Amino acid sequence: MNPLLALSDPLFDHGVTGVIILIVLIKIVVGFGALMNAVILMIWFERKAISDMQSRIGPQRWGPFGLLQTMADGLKLMGKEDLIPAEADRFVFKLAPFLVVIPAFITFAIVPIGGTMHIAGHVVQLQMANPPMGILLMLAMSGISVYGVMLAGWSSGSKYPLLSSVRASAQMISYEAALGMTIVIVILVTGSLTTHDIVLSQGGNILHWNLIRLGLVPFAIFLIAITAELNRPPFDVVEAESELVGGFHTEYSSFRFAIFFLAEFMNTITMSAVMVTLFFGGPAGWVPPVAHLKWIFPILWFLIKTTIFCFCYIWFRAALPRFRYDQLMDLGWKRLIPLSLGWMLIVAGFLISWRWGLLMGSVVIFAWLVLTRAFELGKTRESGPERVLPTIGQRPIPGSVIRKMSEGDS
Amino acid sequence: MDQYLPILGLLLLGVLFASGSLVASAWLAPHKRPTDAKLAPYECGIVPESEPPQRFPVRFYLVAMIFVIFDIEVVFMYPFAVVFRQLHVFGLIEILTFSLTVFAALVFLVSEGALQWGPVKYLTPGMPERTSSSTIVRIGRDDPEQAA
Repeated sequence: MNPLLALSDPLFDHGVTGVIILIVLIKIVVGFGALMNAVILMIWFERKAISDMQSRIGPQRWGPFGLLQTMADGLKLMGKEDLIPAEADRFVFKLAPFLVVIPAFITFAIVPIGGTMHIAGHVVQLQMANPPMGILLMLAMSGISVYGVMLAGWSSGSKYPLLSSVRASAQMISYEAALGMTIVIVILVTGSLTTHDIVLSQGGNILHWNLIRLGLVPFAIFLIAITAELNRPPFDVVEAESELVGGFHTEYSSFRFAIFFLAEFMNTITMSAVMVTLFFGGPAGWVPPVAHLKWIFPILWFLIKTTIFCFCYIWFRAALPRFRYDQLMDLGWKRLIPLSLGWMLIVAGFLISWRWGLLMGSVVIFAWLVLTRAFELGKTRESGPERVLPTIGQRPIPGSVIRKMSEGDS
Repeated sequence: MDQYLPILGLLLLGVLFASGSLVASAWLAPHKRPTDAKLAPYECGIVPESEPPQRFPVRFYLVAMIFVIFDIEVVFMYPFAVVFRQLHVFGLIEILTFSLTVFAALVFLVSEGALQWGPVKYLTPGMPERTSSSTIVRIGRDDPEQAA
C-alpha cells in the first residue's frame, strides 16, 4: 500500500460503499450547517464585542441580545436591488463572489474538530475530509481566493475597487511566503502533511503543543501573516475607508455583497481553527473519565480554543490602528520572510542534534548581519545624493523673509 | 481519489448555496430599471471624470515577480519537510544550501531597493542650526526691523 495513503482517512480503506457515502454526506451537511451558524454567531459577536469596547450598545432588537441581527441583515440584503454597473465585465463580475466563497467553504473541511468515533463499524474521524495533501489544501484555497478578490475589483470598472484589489493581491501574496514557511516548520516536527497527524503529534500534555515545542516565533509569524492574509485589521489597507471608498466590493450590492461579507467571516473562523490545529493541539485537552461522553470533550476544547482566537481578531480590530501600506509590505518582506526562513533552519538543526542547532543559529545570526547591511544599502538607493534638494531659506522662515517675499510679489 | 470525495461534495454544496441564495435574491429583489447615476462607478457622489487607470506603479509587478521566487522556494520545502527525519544531516545541508541561494536573492533585492515602498524621500542638507533664538518668537520684544 502506498505509505502516503496510509496516513489519510481510514474511512476509505475498503472502497466506497453506500454506507460510506451516507457517512460522508452527513459529515458534510453537519459541518456545513455548523460553519454557517458559526459565521452568523461570529458576525453578531464581532458587532457586540466591538460596541462593548467602544461603549456602545450594539445590536439588541432582534432576538435575545440581538442574536438574530445577522439573519435579519441577510434577509434584508436578499430583498435589495441587484445592480451590475454599466462599466462592469458582466461574466467576471458574477463569477468573482463564487471564487471567494467556495474556497472559504472548502478550507474548513480539513480542520479536525474532534477525535475519532465508531459508526456502523467504520472508524470516522471528526473532520469533514482528511486527504493526504492535508494542510496544502488550505494554501491552495487561499491562493484561489486571491483570484476572487483581484477579479472582483478588476471587473467592477471603477477606480477605487481596482486599486483596492491590486493592493489586496500584492498584500496577500506577500504574506503567503511567510505563512507557507511557518507551516513548513510545523511539518518538520510532524513529518506528515495531514491535519489529523499534526494534531495527533501534539497530543499528550501542553508541552507537546507546537506553540511551545517550536518556540513562540512560528506562532507569532503565523498569527501576523494570517491576519494580513485575511485583510483583517490592523492590516485592512484593502478597505481603508479614508483612501478607497469601500474596498474591492464597492460596486457589489444585494446578496453578492453579502457573499463577500460571509466569506470574510468564514475565513476568519477557519483560520482561527487552522491556527488551533497547527499550534494549539486542535481538540487536545483534558478529558474527564465520563463513560459514553468522552467524544464530546475534544469538541468542546476545540470550540473554546477557536473562540478565543475569534475574539483575538475582534480585539485587534478594536485596539490597533491601521498599518500604512509601505509599513505593511516592509513587515512582510523584510522581517517575516527572513525570520521564518532562519527559524526553520534553526528548528531543523535542533531536530538532528543540539550541535547542529547551535551551528544553524550562528549561520542565521551571520545572515542577519548581512541582511542588516543590505537594508542600509537599500536605503541609500532610495534616497541617494541625486535626491538631495537644495536648501530653501531658513527653517522656520523668519518673519522678515516672509514680508520681503510678499512685498516682492505686490 | 476517494479521499477527495468529501471535498468534491463540499464544492458542490458551496456552489449550490451561493447560486441558490443568488436565485432567492433575484426572486425577492425589486426589478426596477436603474438610473444612469446608479449604473455609474461609485465615487461617493462625485461624477467620475477619468477612466480607471490602465497602468499601475511598477512595484506591484515587482512584488508579483519576487513572489514567484519565494513561493517556489516554499513549495520545494514541503517535500523536504515531510521526509526530513529520513534524510537527517544530508537533508539539513541540502536545505541550507538551497536556503542560501534564495537568501542571496533576497539580499540582492533588498540592497537594490526593490522592496522599498512609499514615496521617494528627499533629503535637505545643511539645515541651519536650530537654537532657542531661531525657533522661539518672543512676544513684546519685536526686533526693530519688524516694528518698522
